[in-house]
This record gives sequence, structure tokens and C-alpha cells, in this order.
Amino acid sequence: MQIVFFALRNFNRARTRTWITVGAMAFACAIMIFYASLLEGWLAGMEKNAVGMDLGELQVHATGFRADPDLYKTIVEEESVLALLGSEGFVATPRLYASGLAAAGNASSGIELRGVDLVREPQVTALNVHVWQGQWLEEQDQAGVVLGRKLARILGLTVGDEVVVVAQAADGSTANELFRVRGILKSVAEGVDRSGFFMTSATFRRMMIVPNGAHAIVVKRQVPTENLTQATARLARLLPSYEVRNWRQLQPVLARLFEMSDVSLVIMLLITYAAVGILTLNALLMSVFERIPEFGVMKALGFSPWGLFAMIVAESMLQVTVAAILALAAGLPLAMYFSHHPIDFSGFVQSSSTIAGVALDAKWYCVVTVHSVLLPVLFLYLVAGLAILYPALKAAMLKPLAAIYHR
Amino acid sequence: MNNTPLVQLENVSRIYQQGKVQVAAVTEFSLDVQAGEFSVLCGPSGSGKTTILNLIGALDEPSLGRVRLEGRDLAELGRSDLARLRRDRIGFVFQSYNLNPVLTACENAEFVLALQNIPKAQRRQRVMAVLAEVGMAELAQRRPDELSGGQQQRVAIARAIVSHPAIVLADEPTANVDSATADAILDLMVRLNQEQGITFLFSTHDQRVMDRARRLIHLRDGRLEHDEVRG
Repeated sequence: MQIVFFALRNFNRARTRTWITVGAMAFACAIMIFYASLLEGWLAGMEKNAVGMDLGELQVHATGFRADPDLYKTIVEEESVLALLGSEGFVATPRLYASGLAAAGNASSGIELRGVDLVREPQVTALNVHVWQGQWLEEQDQAGVVLGRKLARILGLTVGDEVVVVAQAADGSTANELFRVRGILKSVAEGVDRSGFFMTSATFRRMMIVPNGAHAIVVKRQVPTENLTQATARLARLLPSYEVRNWRQLQPVLARLFEMSDVSLVIMLLITYAAVGILTLNALLMSVFERIPEFGVMKALGFSPWGLFAMIVAESMLQVTVAAILALAAGLPLAMYFSHHPIDFSGFVQSSSTIAGVALDAKWYCVVTVHSVLLPVLFLYLVAGLAILYPALKAAMLKPLAAIYHR
Repeated sequence: MNNTPLVQLENVSRIYQQGKVQVAAVTEFSLDVQAGEFSVLCGPSGSGKTTILNLIGALDEPSLGRVRLEGRDLAELGRSDLARLRRDRIGFVFQSYNLNPVLTACENAEFVLALQNIPKAQRRQRVMAVLAEVGMAELAQRRPDELSGGQQQRVAIARAIVSHPAIVLADEPTANVDSATADAILDLMVRLNQEQGITFLFSTHDQRVMDRARRLIHLRDGRLEHDEVRG
């Protein structure tokens, strides 16, 4: 208790220096809370685009389909698989894939035809609300299709334009049909943007002569907190004759990028706090050196070396605590504000920019999490704790007599 | 009855290294101090008075010889044990008061009691009694920069005696105060010695202190010149 008492008394001793040090720590910590929240938001946006629009959390395929996507490699018992997944607490939607060629005017481009279940797909992904221009698919509009953003640009198409598709149907015949562009998606991922050609599953089945089965079943956990690896293993046990992969396995580069984000945050914290650490060390050294005679007297009167060490650490930790409170008071509202008002990088980021094949959203939101708030604060304590070690140890090791007469 | 002297110095030498030169501050010095004494180490500057006080106060270590306090050889104690010994058994009065500038007179005086983990109510009661004893009760809530030199020295005396130490070591306690204050401080110390039996050992070349001493230990060039016990 005495140590805390002395720390409190000494806090305001060199007022200007103390508050400059506290201010620098608080500023750095507030900025890092904002940065960490922005990074969380950026990653959440990427994950939303990759997982929430395209990949889903898990995917089930017929054996060999992933290595060699083939129109004939389907999950034949599609409905029973969907029923089983539903009974085990998963939400799932079937998808159909085929390759083809789209042409409009003088332009043409290779496409990936995607037949989607209009009832189930919105339960798993948010593609239906990710439309940039026009509208999402409708069962009644069998000739209406939705295109990826880049594909529309390549073909020079806008909403309402006609587009011809040529593909090889499952029976070997040439599938040839005229569609009308019903909608164009916002950026999702490189593959979807460049070649995504969405139609209803009924249209796909009729055109490609695939009366039943599905090429993929895209799955979402009903309980988002369930561990993804455990959910993957559970799903694999349920469907032993199919290939089950989670999004991290389907997009390992993206998964690695997410894992590396913590490292990049720590590096940023270290760089930012290094400057704060030097400032803190300098202030604490000054504080210790100018009080050496006083420490000598305290030791002469019976203050133990470790008591003195603890007192100096307590003084430093008190400053850090005040800095952390100020940082939270400034950084948290800042991050909260930008969680509702995104920073718009449209002027700097091209609409088609991608990282690891996933579209970059030009609007960056902050996402305030326990992680984004606590990590900068904990690092502040860590850096200040390291900075105080040398002056505190130096004071603890002082010989009382030499300290009393130190000038 | 225990006849062990409170302080024993046996053939103590203290040699300092100043660059390439060795300087002997104290040479083969022996001394016994009994409990209840009011003694003065006197002699010209550089005669080794302060060095001997520092050795007795466990603030310095002898180069040769032994220092014992209440029979305990200080050389056998570690840093923490020495800190405890200083806290519990020795009171210090410094020439320049050395009060903590962020603490009030009352808090300065109770510093040692706080280190001894004595409950706040009990230590406040003891401190106020001692501050009253030294005539500082009215100014208990003032900080050192709000007190005169004499008042600060009174607080330093209160700090030195409040924990009932075995001995109070006072290094030139009157050097920085005017004559009237010096007399008042010395009268106070004499009274504390006579009424409470507190042992005082001074280092000084102030005649007023020497006039009040019952034992004068004369030093010259770090050696004992003459040990004079008065009636």
C-alpha cells in the first residue's frame, strides 16, 4: 500500500514531464486502437466478401471434382445430403457449375455458369443483396442472369442487355441460349468478378441437361462460434464418401493472410510503441537520476531495494494506467464512429482491386473487438514495463551512501 | 544484565580509492558505545567523523575490521537485512534534513513506521505525539518547502526517534540552522536522551553540541586522538 501511496504522490511531481509522457503514450495507444479496429474491419470485409459471398464456410464436393471440375462429377443424392446436413444443424445450399462462352456484340469471354437455389442460397451467402446494378435472380424470370462486375465490363453489358451463351451440355449437345442481364454484382472475388455468370438452378438444369445432383453444396455453421476445424471434421464424418473442405482449405492464401494480420498488427504496435518506449525510458531515467539522493535517504531509512524497485515500477504503471484510460476515452469513440461512418478509399482503390483473389472493399469500416482494444493496451503496459526495468533496477541497486551524496 | 555495548567498532579502517590514490578516511579505529549515551565524534574536517557514523549506520562497509550493532556483525548481513536493521534499530538525522519533498511533515515523520507496516491509526497517534514533543504538531500538514530549516530539522528528529531506535546518528545536525534554532534542537535532543533514554551519537565540530555531550570522542586524521568522558 505504501508503494501505491508513494506512486500517487510522485505522479504530479514533475507535472509537465509526466503529462507529456502520459500524453504520448495515450496518443500512441489511441491511434493503435483505431488502427487495430480498422484492420479488424478490413479483414472482416475481406472475409465477408470471400466467405459470405462466394466460398461459404464449408463446401462439399463429389470426390475428384475439386481437382478436375467436371460437369458429370456431381453429388447425386443432393436432397438427402441437404436433409442430413439440416438435421445436424448446418445450413446448406446446392450449386451447379459449368464452363461456357458468353458473347455480346463483338465481345466474348469465357464464363463459369453458376446455377443457384434461390431459396437456399440467401440462407448461406449474401450474394442476393450484393448487387451493384439491377436486381438479383427471380424464379419467374428464367431468361434473366446476373453477371460479375468485370465480366459485364469485358462484354460491354449493362442491365437489360442481351447476352448469348454457348456451352456443352451433359448429353453432349451444344447448349445455346439467349439471356438478358438482370443484374451486375458488386466486387466479390477475382473469379466471380471475371467469369461469374449466375442463373437459377432450374435454368441451368434445363440448358445444361443436368436434371438432378449438384456440383457443390455450400455450407454454413448454424452456430458461428463452433470451431471451424471441428465443424469440418464433423461434416467429413457425416459425409465420408464426399470431399469436405472449409474456406481456409479452399483459399489457403487468404487464410494465411488472415493469420499474418495479427503479426502485422504486432509489428505496427512494436514500431509505434518503440518511439513511446524511448520517450518513456528517457522520462523515467530523468525521474530516477534527479531523485538519486532522495532514494539514498529512503534506503538509509530502511526502504528495501525491492521496495524501491516496486515503487518506481508502480509510478510507471500508474502513468500507463492513466494513459490507457485516456487512450480508451479517445480511441474507442473514434473507432466506434468509424464503425458507422466508413473511410472511403474509392479515390485510391480501383473497384476491381483484389488481395489473394478477394475483392477489396473501397469503404473501410472499423470493427471494434475485445482483441482490437485490449491488444494495444496490453502492449502499452508491456513496452512501458520493459522501459522501466533499467531505471528501476538501477535505483534498486544504488548504495545508500553513494546515493545520498550523489550530485 | 547484558553488558554488550550497543555499538562496537573493532580496528576499523575505511580506505577510499580516489583515482589511482588510496585515501584512508579511518584507520584502525575502535570504539564502544553503550545504550543511553549522548556522545559526540568531534574533530576537524576530514578527521573521519562522518565516515564512522556511516559505518555504524550500515550505510558504508569497513575496508578492515568489524562493526557490530547490538552484538550483530554488520558484515554478515545482506542488503535486505541491512535495510531492515536501519529501519528498525537506527535513526538518522542528516545535516541537510533530507525530508521527502512530496510528503507532509506528518507523513515524513511516519515514513519509518509505514515501512514497518504499523497500522495507520496507531502510527498517526505515535507520530502526532512525537511531533508534539518536538514542537511541530501545529505544522504537521505542511510540506518541507513550507517549513524553515529549523522546523525541517525538528521533523527529521521526529522521523529519527518515532520508531524507538536503538541509536540516533546525527551528522552535523546544527550546521544549517541559526544559533537560536541550534540551541532549541540540541535542548530537545538532550531532553529526549534524559527522559526517554534514547542513545545519540553526533558528528560535529559545533562547540554548542560538544558543550552538551557527556562523552567527546576526539578524532584526527581518521584515528582516535582522545576519548573524554564527562561526569
